[in-house]
Amino acid sequence: MEMKREYYEDIQYFKKKWVMVVAAVFILLLFTIPIYFTGYSLFILNLIMVYVIVAVGLNILVGYTGQISIGHAGFFAVGAYAMILLMTLLHMPFILALVLSGFISAFFGFLLGLPSLRVKGPYLAIVTLGFGMTIMHIIGQANLFGGRLGLQAPPLDVGVTQLGLSWVLTTDVQKFYLILIITIIMVVAARNIMKTRIGRAFVAIRDDDIAAEVNGVDLLIYKTLSFAISAFYAGVGGGLFSFVLSFVEPFQFNVLLSIIFLVMIIVGGLGSIVGSIVGAVLITFLQYSLLKNVRELPVLGDWLVAISQKWFTVIGLENFNSMILGIIIALIIIFEPKGINGIWLRFKKYCLTWPFK
Amino acid sequence: MKKLIFVFLFLAMLCCAITPSGYCGEGFDDKEIRIGSWGPQTGPAAPWGSISRGAMFMAMYINEQGGIHGRKIKFILRDDKYNPAETKVIAKDLVERQDVMAVTAGLGSAPTLAVKDYLAENKVIAVGMCTGTKGLVYPVTNPYLFSSFCLFGDEMSVLTKYAVEKMKMEDFGFLYQNDPMGWDALNGARERLASYGMKFLVEIPVEPTEKDLSSQIMKLKSKGVKCVLMQVAPTPGIVAVKTAAQIGYKPQWISADTLGDHATMYKLTNGLWEGTVSGGKVLDPNGNDPIIVKYREAAKRLMPDQPFNAWFLSGIFFSEPLFEALKKAGPNLSKDVLLKSLNSITKFMSTGPSITWTPADHQGVYETRIIKCGPNGQVIVLEDFGTPFVHNTLRGWYKKSGI
Repeated sequence: MEMKREYYEDIQYFKKKWVMVVAAVFILLLFTIPIYFTGYSLFILNLIMVYVIVAVGLNILVGYTGQISIGHAGFFAVGAYAMILLMTLLHMPFILALVLSGFISAFFGFLLGLPSLRVKGPYLAIVTLGFGMTIMHIIGQANLFGGRLGLQAPPLDVGVTQLGLSWVLTTDVQKFYLILIITIIMVVAARNIMKTRIGRAFVAIRDDDIAAEVNGVDLLIYKTLSFAISAFYAGVGGGLFSFVLSFVEPFQFNVLLSIIFLVMIIVGGLGSIVGSIVGAVLITFLQYSLLKNVRELPVLGDWLVAISQKWFTVIGLENFNSMILGIIIALIIIFEPKGINGIWLRFKKYCLTWPFK
Repeated sequence: MKKLIFVFLFLAMLCCAITPSGYCGEGFDDKEIRIGSWGPQTGPAAPWGSISRGAMFMAMYINEQGGIHGRKIKFILRDDKYNPAETKVIAKDLVERQDVMAVTAGLGSAPTLAVKDYLAENKVIAVGMCTGTKGLVYPVTNPYLFSSFCLFGDEMSVLTKYAVEKMKMEDFGFLYQNDPMGWDALNGARERLASYGMKFLVEIPVEPTEKDLSSQIMKLKSKGVKCVLMQVAPTPGIVAVKTAAQIGYKPQWISADTLGDHATMYKLTNGLWEGTVSGGKVLDPNGNDPIIVKYREAAKRLMPDQPFNAWFLSGIFFSEPLFEALKKAGPNLSKDVLLKSLNSITKFMSTGPSITWTPADHQGVYETRIIKCGPNGQVIVLEDFGTPFVHNTLRGWYKKSGI
């Protein structure tokens, strides 16, 4: 079903017109979200979109290029801190600072990509892990970065104050629209990259890097490029994250966050843009909304709190939440190793071949 | 089977997703007053979680007594793992979803500073935040924030004075958490030592997540430090004392009140804590003071699994003025009425020093007691509340700032 027979089929965005219509309607619906959700829900949605950007970028590296990174929280941190410092110290306009934050992260990504030419698998994982931890501690020690106290984000002015244009976004609704537009651009760009020569080179490296090299794919360029692109996405995500939370602090960018990023793309589906989005949405939703709301369910909530207080923690569902999140992730991986994208592919196949099996 | 599991997961998520938000901005109704709190129930500062549970107990105790003017207290406690970013998310949840009227006993310097402005912007009353960093209260620009925590700088200055004048100690080293909590204490102690013409032989920052302090302890030992002042979270404090014992290093340990729960620290260090001098925020939890006996008995009833220790008692100390102000505010409650009531709290005595707030001064407490860990974690009072000795008279930063 997924077999491409012509080059044109490989590069086209939408195979059928109705898919394009559905996508357009879906995007329009996204713009109406603030009508249905307010306050805390919008804050969570902003957070979800930031993680979507990071997950899409990470999937380019892990899912499409077959490399590994458990230090992505480091790139995320670089982006977040760079964004705040560029805007507060150098008074850069928002868009310029955001792009530059992405490029600063990408530079670190390029540097981290160099060892990937020599080491693979678990060894590369250790290198990236070391990077993530080092960044966290460097930021935590340096006064420029606010040390353990962290940094407060400046007002989110999307104008160019140097030209006398100022538009400060203060509400979660305003931030939602800004982040939504950037997320759509980033996702479309990722899909575009994967349909170009660069994307095909990434996939070739993932499938067999020696065969790819024999066929003319320069491993030095494409492996480091994959790291740089992935880090760019994390940097942009980090830049936006600093405004969603209005505050950054070094130890929030810990190893666990890097692992959560990985979980997002594994649960969503490796090598799939849609999978990255679904994974980021699901995991963020589980972490920040679902498991925080469980306690408020009638009867069931009280029952779970009572169990937790008896067996896990005296204050309620705190440790229990992590266990439920772990169990849900384990169930998805056990029963659907291709992630949620696998379910979608099977469903699509079922619909296309219906009523035949 | 697969389908069933996914259907179940989907339905569970849907159920939880549609749980309504109660945000309406007042924080109370005819039946309940919603109060929020956060604190580390897990993570490197988890032992401090008792403080939050002490505040939670206070709410349970008030409810057992029938509530306040017919309204029950709904106390919402969240675990921030001592991570300021998590605290920010929690604060948004408490304000925008849970619609709290006030927060109390929120714990940690970096976590509290991270949410201070957000709470003020949303006019959420914050009472008894568990941090003594001067940046919380000074300069006094936030009419919604009421502190009852002796400033870290003041406390460490007084402890240093005690070490020099009463214990005749010299050759000092300082182990401090690399955040406002540690920095303020370090400055207070430096100022005090300078007044005697002395200075630290070595000042060592530690991260709250650090589990291995062997190099730091070796450094203290190699510099010939005889008295180590500490302003750290429980885990680094315990690790420091244990590491020193392992290498045969026996300095005099002096800690801020942040490690002043001697019974718990004695237990967690297998007795190595004995002899440590510290600040003390509350009365002895094992003492026979009538108010302590009252709460100890109530805690056995309402929270039987929770140890009644100094940190737990601190939670009561930090939150009780809020409940007292709610009582004084009367049945016609509003944020303005509650603010007025809090601003009129004068010499309120609970389980610690007396608290006084005025519209111009929201610091509330300026003293600490000095205690020592005796055998079996017993508390030995060296200097009690109310004496001139336990007030910091130097406060150079305060005088310079002209506040």
